[in-house]
Amino acid sequence: MKITFLRYSIRQAMANIFNNRLVHLIGVGTMAIAFLIFDAFILIFVNLSYWTEERGRLLSMSVYFKEEPDRIVLEDVQRELLGFPGVTIKRFISKDDAMEDLRRQLGDEAGLLDGLKENPLPASLEITFSRDKGGDSIPHQLKRRLERINIVDEVQYSQEWIERFQAIMEALKIVGIVVGGLLFLAALFIITNTIKLTIYSRKDEIEILKLVGATNRFVKIPFLIEGSIQGFLGGSLALILLFVAYMIVVARVDLRIGFASLDFVFLPPECIVLLLVMSSIAGLIGSTISLGRFFRI
Amino acid sequence: MIQLFHVYKTFGSKNSALIDVSLRVRKGEFVFITGPSGAGKTTLLKIVFCAEKATSGQALVDGRNLNRVSERELALLRRRIGVVFQDFKLLPRRTVFENVALALEIAGLPLSVIRKKVHQTLRYLGLANKEGYYPPQLSGGEQQRVALGRAIINNPLILLADEPTGNLDPDLTMEIMALLREIHVKGTTVVVATHSQELLRDTRRRIVSLSKGRIV
Repeated sequence: MKITFLRYSIRQAMANIFNNRLVHLIGVGTMAIAFLIFDAFILIFVNLSYWTEERGRLLSMSVYFKEEPDRIVLEDVQRELLGFPGVTIKRFISKDDAMEDLRRQLGDEAGLLDGLKENPLPASLEITFSRDKGGDSIPHQLKRRLERINIVDEVQYSQEWIERFQAIMEALKIVGIVVGGLLFLAALFIITNTIKLTIYSRKDEIEILKLVGATNRFVKIPFLIEGSIQGFLGGSLALILLFVAYMIVVARVDLRIGFASLDFVFLPPECIVLLLVMSSIAGLIGSTISLGRFFRI
Repeated sequence: MIQLFHVYKTFGSKNSALIDVSLRVRKGEFVFITGPSGAGKTTLLKIVFCAEKATSGQALVDGRNLNRVSERELALLRRRIGVVFQDFKLLPRRTVFENVALALEIAGLPLSVIRKKVHQTLRYLGLANKEGYYPPQLSGGEQQRVALGRAIINNPLILLADEPTGNLDPDLTMEIMALLREIHVKGTTVVVATHSQELLRDTRRRIVSLSKGRIV
């Protein structure tokens, strides 16, 4: 494409937007609403993924001892544990502490424990394991290493939870792609019809351009640039509206599930850039589809 | 320059706009196409500049068969045909300068050449002081001169004018006809469609009469 033609197309697209600013304003507004629905879904999806990821990231692990370890043995085990990346030792639970915990849990039924001659509960170490610092294979390795230590009786962690977490993430991804895809198609449908209105209002102009010898490319490219700009502006407006709505939600609503307070995050920068690019591409596709019917002669 | 062989044009199943029209316009000729409203004058011109396709028959312009031209060839051919309409067909949101420059921008000429040629053309048409105006700010005669400027700026082989004076008073009609004659003298083939008997009085040009879609 020649530079002069590109310059002409951009200049023409800008002039068209300015000259038809009311039609464009309505178009950008309509697109913004369509994108807002899509962006809001992405925001919810991003947060759901973030929360699921966050909850699955910290894995609890319990190391049970055959007998109450003395301070030196305990320190050795702790040193061994801290040699693994992502491991944090939460607390050591002695046999007495374990019994105390059990009594507290049983409440009124705690008297049942009075008949015991000796404390059968093992001493243990509660550790948490951060998945993002290790990887999924590390819990297995850690378990095997710890079980080799003489005094360690058993190591338990919730493999089931990891599997469930992975299944949830997979399902979320599929739901995200399907619902996101459908919403994007709906947005594209609205955009195509909005741009069709813009183009229809200028069908005389297209006719004149063609009659004085313009090729299809010459007529189409300024419209395609216009569509992309319109899409970009609609996408930007949608993100601004979404951010305002997000600020209102964050300021007013305390998101809690159980005891855990959840961070409600806004879209990450790379996601914002991607949405803006998608908005421009949607505008471009919308223009291409809308222009089709005007080029029969 | 223009050859039509047994051209038929039908809209829908019954409405025949042209019936068995054969016509030959030689290079450098000045021809009037005349007839009452609905005779098929506009349809005939539309077939020549490819705004319509003949239902059957052959139409050739500058040796090219219009039934077989590609989209790109058609665009290139239209650059060599200037067209003037009764309702001017100017772009209302572009200035006089921009409207006249359109054909040159489409041809991809550099801006400096476009500026020079547009200024020359506007001077020739007596519109040098109106280049920054928008069409709705001009009189009918001025708008038709702008349309004429757009049609001739590329030095076309053929100039087609469809009722070019239909919306103008007698003085402006004479002015536009004088310009068409000047353009013809410079070598352009001119075809004017009109139902006005005033324009045809005393003319020595060839007159092709249409009635109900047939040449009579």
